[in-house]
Amino acid sequence: MSTIHTVLPLIVVLPLLGAFSSPILDLISRKLKEAWILAISAGTLGVTGYVFYYVFKNGPLLYTMGATNPFGHANFPIRIVWEIDMFNALMALTVAFVSLMAIIYSVEYMKRDTGLEKYYPLILILELGMLGIVVTGDLFNFYVFLEIMSIASYALVAFRNDTWEGIEAGVKYMMVGALASSFILLGIALLYGQYGTLTMAYIAYKMAGHMTTTAKVALALLMAGLLFKSGSVPVHMWLADAHPAAPSSVSAMLSGLVIKAGGIYILARILFSIYGPSINVRTVGWIVIIFACLTLIVGNAMAVVQTDMKRLLAYSSVGQMGYILLGVGIGLAAYGSNVGNLALAGAIYHTVNHALMKALLFLIAGAVIHALGTRNLNDLSGIAKTMPVTSFAFIIGAAAIIGMPPLNGFASKWILYESSALFNPVIGAIAIIGTAFCTAAYVRVIYTFFGRPNSLTMKAKDPGKSMLIPIIILTVAIIVMGLFPWTINKDFMLPAAKALVNQMGYIHTLFAGGV
Amino acid sequence: MFGYWDALYFIFIFIVSFLLALALDKWAKKSGMGTKEKGEATKVFISGEDPEKEIKGFEHLEGYYTGRNVMWGLTYGLKRVFVVLQREHTGLLTDYVSYLVITTAFIMAVLLIWG
Repeated sequence: MSTIHTVLPLIVVLPLLGAFSSPILDLISRKLKEAWILAISAGTLGVTGYVFYYVFKNGPLLYTMGATNPFGHANFPIRIVWEIDMFNALMALTVAFVSLMAIIYSVEYMKRDTGLEKYYPLILILELGMLGIVVTGDLFNFYVFLEIMSIASYALVAFRNDTWEGIEAGVKYMMVGALASSFILLGIALLYGQYGTLTMAYIAYKMAGHMTTTAKVALALLMAGLLFKSGSVPVHMWLADAHPAAPSSVSAMLSGLVIKAGGIYILARILFSIYGPSINVRTVGWIVIIFACLTLIVGNAMAVVQTDMKRLLAYSSVGQMGYILLGVGIGLAAYGSNVGNLALAGAIYHTVNHALMKALLFLIAGAVIHALGTRNLNDLSGIAKTMPVTSFAFIIGAAAIIGMPPLNGFASKWILYESSALFNPVIGAIAIIGTAFCTAAYVRVIYTFFGRPNSLTMKAKDPGKSMLIPIIILTVAIIVMGLFPWTINKDFMLPAAKALVNQMGYIHTLFAGGV
Repeated sequence: MFGYWDALYFIFIFIVSFLLALALDKWAKKSGMGTKEKGEATKVFISGEDPEKEIKGFEHLEGYYTGRNVMWGLTYGLKRVFVVLQREHTGLLTDYVSYLVITTAFIMAVLLIWG
């Protein structure tokens, strides 16, 4: 067994070990537990970094649990398979990086909270769920990780149970989230009933010459459930309740990662790697495009009229998911063409960028709430004078999310504008209108930050090192990623898009046993 | 070559826009009734809110520019759109479930007919 096959399971094993050992360490010392959690999270980032490098250099990777090959001793696939190409290697790296930032931030941000013996295990379980979703090549294994991630999210949204807001948002999120999960499970059950396997690449292989009505019904259920998990309009309303109610470090993970790993990533994987050209890609593509257009207009427009800073960021997340969905939709509708590949590369690029930008913005919102105890924009006038580092980071994050050059958000949005305009000019215009709303929403916040300080904001000050370090790292990442857009797009995003579109390659990796 | 951008284009566009703005400013000053270079007229106008203005006893209401009026033109112009959008965001769990069922039904119908 090669080194990579020994290291790969650590992606899930490390966070699991951290989650269950941290309450024991908490009994000894709080500092020891925090150091342990940080080491676990940094180790997980190291493992995902190694896996990403390996896949980048050697091509797709296959790992079979409990057997040396996907077929085990029987001559049909019965083992749980993990299949990693550039697309999911990139997603795993993003998940591990942003999770580490949120955990570093939590050390100071959550200092005043009680119940931390539950908080850190839940955060690591959330990370574990997302990493499991992105590495697996088995549909039921995906569902298990989805539920692990979702249950940790419900608990973390309601973590601050001394306020009605957290409880209400957590309960609503859980109720309707469970319904969406049941749709997904039903879709998986239908596919299993129809094709007799849960291995994604093997379903794709069997589906290629045998598309049935059952598979179409399964796709509808899977798409609806996953559009819900992605926060797409009109099934986005839970997001505007849940994300602001959670502690800001959790909000950063929910908006930055959960809606991507548990929503858009797996949706793209199912649409491209399982169904692919077996179904009418133009119809499916246009369904996604319709939801994308609604999402980017409604999400960004709703952000304009918010007075609660975190709610504004949550609606902005909905809007940005619209752009990512747009890229996926065009990728499908223009399947196999240059425009389609470019749109898909833009969507993947924006997924990574948005994870960084939204994590940064939520961490900043947390720093503001930590200093002032309010998230009402009308009370935050002049905060730039007393919290200069935080405000500078906010300007960078806001400018990037609006899509101002030369930051990373510009590069990915530009690719999306270009590809959507080439695909259909009306869609391109809708994308620009969404950005106009997005700009209006963030300009309001920037003006507020640079207004005249009031008695409340005069007392504020920048947070301590533990909270500032992740903010600074994310800001630097946004700036640096904006400086080399062509290299990032050419070397990472386009290969990731091509790996996603290459259904035959995905199936071949399973049969050839990967590297 | 689409999918790539060159920062030089942006510098070029910035220089051209700057020169245009400068020319427009010169032309406006020359042909206008005269520009006030001192006093109240030099204050930056942001949505009609004066950051210097303070009324004794009402300091909490006036003078602190909060940004709440920025984009008032946009929000006023699209008031009806925002009212409709906000009305739909009821916060009721039953509505969330209804939208999920409608979405599923829509996707299923389209896939079964054209998929």
